[in-house]
Amino acid sequence: MADQLLNVSALSAGTEDKPILHGVDLAVGAGECHVLMGPNGAGKSTLGHVIMGDPAYAVTGGSITFDGADVTELTSDKRSLAGIFLSYQAPVEVPGVPLYSFLRTICQMRPELKTTARKFRQRVGEIADQLELDQSFLMRELNVGFSGGEKKKIEMLQLLLLQPKLAILDETDSGLDVDALGIVSRGIQAYREQVGGALIVITHNTRILERLSVDRTHVMVHGHMVAEGDASLIADIDANGFERFERALGERDEACVDCPGCPKAGDAE
Amino acid sequence: MAEKNLTAAAGAGALALERVNAAPAQTWNRLRTNDVTLTVPARGRAGDVYFSLPRLFEGVECGMGPEVTAWVESQAADARYVEVPRGERRAEPIVVSVASGAGEVADTGVMVREGAEVTIVVAASAGEKDAEAEGDATAADPAAAPATSASLLRVIAEAGARVTIHEYLCPGADAQHLESVGIRAGRDARVEVRQYALGGGTVALGLAADLAGDRARFDLTQRYHAAGTEVLDVNEVVRMRGRNTRSELAYSGVLEDAAKKSLRTTIDLVHGARSAQGNEAETVLVLGDDVTNKTLPVILCDEDDVAGNHGATIGSVSPEQLAFLASRGLSRADAEELFSRAVFEDALMSAPCPEARAVVRGDSPLESSEEA
Repeated sequence: MADQLLNVSALSAGTEDKPILHGVDLAVGAGECHVLMGPNGAGKSTLGHVIMGDPAYAVTGGSITFDGADVTELTSDKRSLAGIFLSYQAPVEVPGVPLYSFLRTICQMRPELKTTARKFRQRVGEIADQLELDQSFLMRELNVGFSGGEKKKIEMLQLLLLQPKLAILDETDSGLDVDALGIVSRGIQAYREQVGGALIVITHNTRILERLSVDRTHVMVHGHMVAEGDASLIADIDANGFERFERALGERDEACVDCPGCPKAGDAE
Repeated sequence: MAEKNLTAAAGAGALALERVNAAPAQTWNRLRTNDVTLTVPARGRAGDVYFSLPRLFEGVECGMGPEVTAWVESQAADARYVEVPRGERRAEPIVVSVASGAGEVADTGVMVREGAEVTIVVAASAGEKDAEAEGDATAADPAAAPATSASLLRVIAEAGARVTIHEYLCPGADAQHLESVGIRAGRDARVEVRQYALGGGTVALGLAADLAGDRARFDLTQRYHAAGTEVLDVNEVVRMRGRNTRSELAYSGVLEDAAKKSLRTTIDLVHGARSAQGNEAETVLVLGDDVTNKTLPVILCDEDDVAGNHGATIGSVSPEQLAFLASRGLSRADAEELFSRAVFEDALMSAPCPEARAVVRGDSPLESSEEA
């Protein structure tokens, strides 16, 4: 494995009233591409949001180390500045803030990306062209009134602008037509080639992976990390689904049902 | 805050204008939102000879009301009349610049003939202050009016005319600006208004649009920012008289600290305005614990076959928005500053002329290197 960039160790987390993740382990090396798969409600998106530091979730056990530092207690904005990026499955609408102002501000927050307005406009224009994004969108309010595909392209625009060390793509392919999927895939490929950053791709659809060289594949079921393998595991899941993983987890849980105070109690939703 | 200018007996050289920005349909008096009273300077004009607008403009209703119209007419050094000939597309904008520090008052009438096209810009800045005169007046009489600028703009858009109005308002911190606009739109005329109220001691803004001709269309976008103890008082009325007329009014703004804002918007669907449609919506972002925000959206209706909608959203930045912005590296403070900056950046990006850009730069938190 390359130098370790992210290490999630025995991570348990959930919302105020419901545990979702149960002792999850995940290690990602610098520049690696990992795929996270699992049935609906497995906790994949939750894991992405917890790594990002989303305050909607509380960590109840374990730790997250990023780039050599323990970030478990860090706020989301500091994790972002440290180099973690989460592409939202459903990007949030922010009325009142033009997309251009937002992009300019998030770049100005990072000393390494600070530049003149002229160079910034040029850079944004190049990426927008690459993503076949109409530049008039830059004057519109952030994510307001955009189609699902346009929102995902804007997420890719931010990914390419911010050049993070680790990008978590939470079902970036969902809701995209074939053409938009191709454009977004090329955006992800450009991120890998230009930035060399690590990726965690959360997906149900293997088409988005066609242009990527996958290093590791992980499978989550009911908030547990149940399997890990190389890229061949994707084809296996494509052919056989998640049933065997769910069955194996069920048998494992039955075996420890008598264990009092079991941390595996409760399922992801 | 309108109240801070209330004066039972205005000082020498000052005048109390009552029932300014009065909403056409009144609500409970105890809400103190029906109108505002402003104290303004009253300079003697006896013996002056000055130009007045053609009498045709006297029939144009203005948003701040007749008292302000009369006061501006009495105080403006001269009235300015511009006529855009039939079918002409005027490239140069008509610019009205006033500075609160210099106490400037402008009275402008624009006649846009059939099928003509024009852009009008009102730029109200802090400008140079006559420090000696200001200081003397205030020291001698605490009831004296604050430094005041004003612009009265009346526009008649004939059939098929296209009019775009940009208003950039930012008087000095201790000053006030009165902005009264009256528009009459003929058949198939189209009027678009963009207003930026960017702060200053007190900004009182009124607009009345009379969609007299069939299929006339009126679109208004207002963005505002007020912080500290700044006051913004707005009254906007659209009279929809013609058939198939359309009006869209969109307001959004940010209020910080102990800023005070009153917004009265009225869409009046007059008898006979068959198939007319009007919408008004406001989004207010409240970022201060001591902010006072009053919104009075009204639809008046005296016709069956019409549609009118209004709504207002008032609140702070939502937890979902904060979480999303944090995932891009913005703390709560950064996120709130982004909302404020966005108002100024939008104003700067939309500014149609150097005078408008100067107003934005005069009181904006934007970096001077931003345009580099």
